[in-house]
Amino acid sequence: MSEGTKPETSQLSNKELKELKKKEKAAKRAAKKESIGIKPDSSQRRGGDKPKTASNIKKQINQSKTQSESLKIPPLFGHLETREQRISSTPPQLANIVHPSILTLCLKYSTFKIVGSTHRCQAMLEAFKDVIESYKTPEGTSLSRHLTGHLSHQIEYLKSARPLSTSMGNTIRWLKQEISLISIDETDEQAKLILAEKIDVYIKEKIEYANIAITDSTIQHIVDGSTVLTFGHSQVLLHIFKHVATELNRKFKLVIVDSRPLFEGKKLATELSGYPNISCQYVFINSLSSILQEPVDVVLLGAHAMLSNGRLYSRVGTALIAMSAHKRDIPVLVCCQSIKFSDKVQLDSVTMNELSEGQDLLTMGSKPTKRNGFALDQFLKEKRTEKEEESKGKKNSNNNNNSSNSVPLTKPEDPLANYREIDNVTILNIMYDLTPPEYIQKVITEVGSLPPSSVPVILREYKGNSSNS
Amino acid sequence: MSQTQQQIQEQVDGLVYKLKRRQLAGSYKVAIETAQLLMRLITMARWKNTDQLIELIRDAGRQLIAAQPREFASGNIVRRVLSLIRDESLEMDREKPDIDKNTAMMSSMFSLLSTTDTKNQQQHSPSDAKQRTQDLRSLVIQGIRDLMDEISAVHENIELMSIDLIHDNEVLLTPTPNSQTVLNFLLKARQKRKFTVLVTECFPNHTEDAHKFVKKLADAKIDTVLIPDSTVFAVMSRVGKVIIGARSVFVNGGCVSTSGVAAVTECAKEHRTPVFTVAGLYKLSPTYPFDNDSLIEVGNSGKVIDYSDQDLVGRCEVTNPLMDYIDPENIDIYITNVGGFSPNFIYRIVLDNYKSDDVNL
Repeated sequence: MSEGTKPETSQLSNKELKELKKKEKAAKRAAKKESIGIKPDSSQRRGGDKPKTASNIKKQINQSKTQSESLKIPPLFGHLETREQRISSTPPQLANIVHPSILTLCLKYSTFKIVGSTHRCQAMLEAFKDVIESYKTPEGTSLSRHLTGHLSHQIEYLKSARPLSTSMGNTIRWLKQEISLISIDETDEQAKLILAEKIDVYIKEKIEYANIAITDSTIQHIVDGSTVLTFGHSQVLLHIFKHVATELNRKFKLVIVDSRPLFEGKKLATELSGYPNISCQYVFINSLSSILQEPVDVVLLGAHAMLSNGRLYSRVGTALIAMSAHKRDIPVLVCCQSIKFSDKVQLDSVTMNELSEGQDLLTMGSKPTKRNGFALDQFLKEKRTEKEEESKGKKNSNNNNNSSNSVPLTKPEDPLANYREIDNVTILNIMYDLTPPEYIQKVITEVGSLPPSSVPVILREYKGNSSNS
Repeated sequence: MSQTQQQIQEQVDGLVYKLKRRQLAGSYKVAIETAQLLMRLITMARWKNTDQLIELIRDAGRQLIAAQPREFASGNIVRRVLSLIRDESLEMDREKPDIDKNTAMMSSMFSLLSTTDTKNQQQHSPSDAKQRTQDLRSLVIQGIRDLMDEISAVHENIELMSIDLIHDNEVLLTPTPNSQTVLNFLLKARQKRKFTVLVTECFPNHTEDAHKFVKKLADAKIDTVLIPDSTVFAVMSRVGKVIIGARSVFVNGGCVSTSGVAAVTECAKEHRTPVFTVAGLYKLSPTYPFDNDSLIEVGNSGKVIDYSDQDLVGRCEVTNPLMDYIDPENIDIYITNVGGFSPNFIYRIVLDNYKSDDVNL
């Protein structure tokens, strides 16, 4: 990437001044947008050189795809979209019509400030409320017709941060339907009020009350003195554990298994370690088999999605936990709201997954990596290449070999610090894996508990309900 | 007499402290150092008969094992040397029919009962006994030299088998990037085959080793993919073989390896992916893995939760096991420097190299 910029500048100097003027204009525009959010900056960088026509955007997408070949992904996972691809494939002009709260939400998603399917879904609905509130129906259309399109643009942009979760997809489908159901006779104000209220009800019903209902049917599995094992972080599990410890006043031991690079379990441990009734044990996934030597009564897992063929799609590592527990005859229960049920079928974790940054695995400490926004990353990278070029110039004059010291940010002693430049090395950092239904004893949802094979049943019932209402 | 004893104790203490302070890392080095120590002991010490020598070595062995009970290599080498001494002395007894013609002819069961008898005879002829100890000393030292040669040639012998086990374009997974044996095995295999290696990062204890391992493989033009430990299940369906390095192997065919490996082998079993373990013969231990606590070493919990993490330090129980015990049923074959064996057959290899008298030192 750094090499690509060099010849371009030399070519541009040969080209007409017009191009330069255009660039200046674009820079001005970018500066304006910088006050809104961070994304316009990156979109301008890509879009600034050439006028933004549909064909140009397509070209850019293709370019980004060829660039991505130089990115480090194992060949098996080449079909998965990288962060760079995702960002470059969203049309740059979208940034102009994206609502500020969506922009901030995007940044929070992409930097993993907001993580976890439920949490993300809730935050998205809150942001949509803002979008709807500041929405004005243009002349000549009605809200029920135009708002869905407007929302689609926001969602399109949201996808550039991270792919939509199943719960988000389901929620969006519901919201669009609700919008289309609003009668043309309603005024904008009334319609907005109705929608805001519907969103509130949805959050209450599908997330908050669902959590309570799931808690009610899960507490029977955590008796006084039992040992519970869980993996990572899940909103509904946090609710359950708090409820059991405080409302029911049951003492239990909670083993929190955690993994790199997100360390979500730390969040759960921090939340729960203060409760006198819960004795927390925090371990990494490598000590799984040692932990299971001690008696564990039940394994509780959160979900990202329940697929229609009964498989559980959840944070990578879940399958390993479920398998180990299943082999030792420890019941594995999945707690999951019905908005996470998906009609997709999938057979392995390779075909569909979310690719995360390999860079995240280079840190050594047991603290989550702090991810920068994409634009900031780009900026830092540019600065770094500039510095390198400077030092190269110095090197030529001084004949010193100190240029290796000019790479900041990563420790020089890590042999993989610049893994992108090393041939034959790739880092695979996927976000999810698929747990086969054999390992799961029970899926607990707000509409009841069922075996994983019954997921399509719930899906049907649920669909029927939503279309009736 | 007491002076030599003191010297011996000093020698033993040197290694004991090194073991206690974990200054010796890796069973390979421990094995070599132990062998060297025993060689020094045998040359230094004054002993009149085989029993005294055996008692001397056993005593040193006990101290070494107590220094680091979970490092089995030192005990293994001590036992190997003991078995060597027993073999040589038996051989000498056989070669010298003038001591007692009958002893050589006798069956082992009978000689067991009549040991006191032969001892008395040895003591009866002091000049003969002296000659005998001299011979035995040189023989045993030669034996230990051979043993050290064997240990240092372990990798070469194991590497020879790599071509038989890896096919072209195969995807391998290794959860033990800290194993030198695995590294050498893969590097050797690369000379004849082209393949991909997935390396787990072994967080938190061996992440740096994993990165170095990946770099070394990549330098040898092996396609290498670094994966987090949690990703093993997701990729296992695409893996052709799992290769692990063992820290020590037990009679029942189970072994101890880096923490996280047990889950990986379980996962491989679940996916019907073959698992093979590479281990030098010196890692074979004649003991049975009865209880888990005696096998599994626990490391710095500060690596799991940083000591500066005030929200969690002191509020959470934190464990950081360094080792995992791997059940024999989760391993398909062992590749040693004397060939490949099924886990069920390991006990035979153990019998070939150790004497049952020495199992409990």
